[in-house]
Amino acid sequence: MATITSLRGSQAARAVSASSAAPATDPRQASWPVLAIFIAPALLIYFGLTAYPAFRTIFDSFFTIEGLERIPVGLANYKALLQDETFWVAVRNTFIWAFVAPILDVATGLLLALALYAGVPFARFLRIAWFTPVLLSYVVVAILWMWIYNYDWGVVNVVLRGLGLDALTRSWLGDPNFALASVIVTHAWKWAGFNMVVCLAAIHSLPSEVLEASELDNCGWGAKLRHIIVPMLKPTLLNLYVLAFIGKMKVFDLVWIMTGGGPLWATETVSTYVYKRAFNWNTFDLGYPSAIATVWFGVVCAAVIILNRIFRSKDRLEY
Amino acid sequence: MRASSPMPRLFGRGALALVIGAYTVYTLGPFLWLATMSVRTTGEISADHYAWPRPFHWEQFRIAWVDSDFATYFWNSAIVVVSAVAVVTLVGAAAAHALARYRFRGNRLIYGILFSSIIFPPQITLISLYQILVDYNLYNSLIGLTLVYISLQLPLTVYLLEGFFARIPQDLFDAAKMDGYGDIEIFRRIVLPIGMPAIATTLILNFIQLWNEFLFAVVLITDPEKRTLPIGIRAFMGDHFQDIGMIAAGVMISVIPVILAYAFFSEKLIRGMTAGAVK
Repeated sequence: MATITSLRGSQAARAVSASSAAPATDPRQASWPVLAIFIAPALLIYFGLTAYPAFRTIFDSFFTIEGLERIPVGLANYKALLQDETFWVAVRNTFIWAFVAPILDVATGLLLALALYAGVPFARFLRIAWFTPVLLSYVVVAILWMWIYNYDWGVVNVVLRGLGLDALTRSWLGDPNFALASVIVTHAWKWAGFNMVVCLAAIHSLPSEVLEASELDNCGWGAKLRHIIVPMLKPTLLNLYVLAFIGKMKVFDLVWIMTGGGPLWATETVSTYVYKRAFNWNTFDLGYPSAIATVWFGVVCAAVIILNRIFRSKDRLEY
Repeated sequence: MRASSPMPRLFGRGALALVIGAYTVYTLGPFLWLATMSVRTTGEISADHYAWPRPFHWEQFRIAWVDSDFATYFWNSAIVVVSAVAVVTLVGAAAAHALARYRFRGNRLIYGILFSSIIFPPQITLISLYQILVDYNLYNSLIGLTLVYISLQLPLTVYLLEGFFARIPQDLFDAAKMDGYGDIEIFRRIVLPIGMPAIATTLILNFIQLWNEFLFAVVLITDPEKRTLPIGIRAFMGDHFQDIGMIAAGVMISVIPVILAYAFFSEKLIRGMTAGAVK
């Protein structure tokens, strides 16, 4: 909503200025030194601390780097990567996470937004309350959920025992079959509120005539959801999906603190594996992790471009 | 919201209330549990993890602050985050203003370059930044971490502020030019005051994201004296895994500034975090 008005506003402003500006003292022109003063610091920071390191990582991926020693190895790191089983496990886990978990996030967000839209009391309070986990750091969320999943006294097992379902209790983060799902649930807990707020804003910006017409037609809530609300929200929902997807391709903090990638690589993601190879294992080689980072950089950029193509609507996707 | 709210016909009002109540407990419950544990001793917690604190052991916070080094972590975080946010907001606002206001060749290219790095996975810069900071003696230093944090938040800052600044009516600038304002004066005396609501939003947003940052801090800081809160808590938990009461108190210390910011600026924060996702 905000973006739409901003675009319209800026276009209007530009149109007005174009028609009224006298060519001699066009206030939309500035001399190069003035522009440099405004933009140079940002570009300097960008090139020094983002572009240069990114290029250097790509460059480094063709070397073995131990301390100050750099040995050019050509494509050896990439060949080793193809053979690296742990890497492929990490890729599989990250893809499961990136493709499946956003559905969970967005669906929860949409349902919560609909619940608030249905006109419950205290909607304002609930909106703020449900958004709270978004603001907590991954460290805090991870610690909280490690306690919630604790085998002896965590909430999950305590509730299961209380219901007499002792057979279902388990060490949620210690069981290779459940660890990934458990961490994904935690991640969804943190982000559902974000999706809820965005969906709610989008629902409120739907043209009210359409919804009112559907009510006159005695359209049921389920039908209204399926035929009107979801199709009309499609751009927002797809946008949220892509946003969640990008976030999950990078996921690190939560996994690193909760499971460290274990048990038996069940929750290893590409990010945690890069970190391990670069800084945690005593392999003392920064070339190989640079190769993983380079590959993953390419995969993320390609995935974003492809998703943008698939989901292309009239609106350009923004992140 | 409209006066006649469309109640779902699929569920009854009761079922809806139940779902909403359950979800509220699900989001706020863990946090309240944490809060109760932070004012209980670990001995009390081991006896019953879900009991109400009685009495309230407020001294837990003093112990965490003084004896468990959380004061050091807190001030390190505060110094790094406040300076990074101040610099990134100023630098980002200047660039955003120029990109939103002036027509020049390469405008959209520069905007695109600055903005596109928002999708970069952090590892692509992380490994090299580690080497670069080592080269320049900025590894394991709060100044180095601050520089990295400035670069991390720059794309988002430029993106958000460019959007807001472009909406300031051009008439204001035309009038200012006629009054003889220079370009820098226009930025200082028109853009910054008028853009203050947007700048406040980015300030709070950047503050919270950096306050919570973990990956770069854990790689670039190893000295216990220089730990920020997220890595301080994590290190404390590594050393004192069983001391749940003290961990909870430390976590609360790290969360309180965020909760305070949220309490005062909840709408601004929600708007900032969701800007750009709404279509």
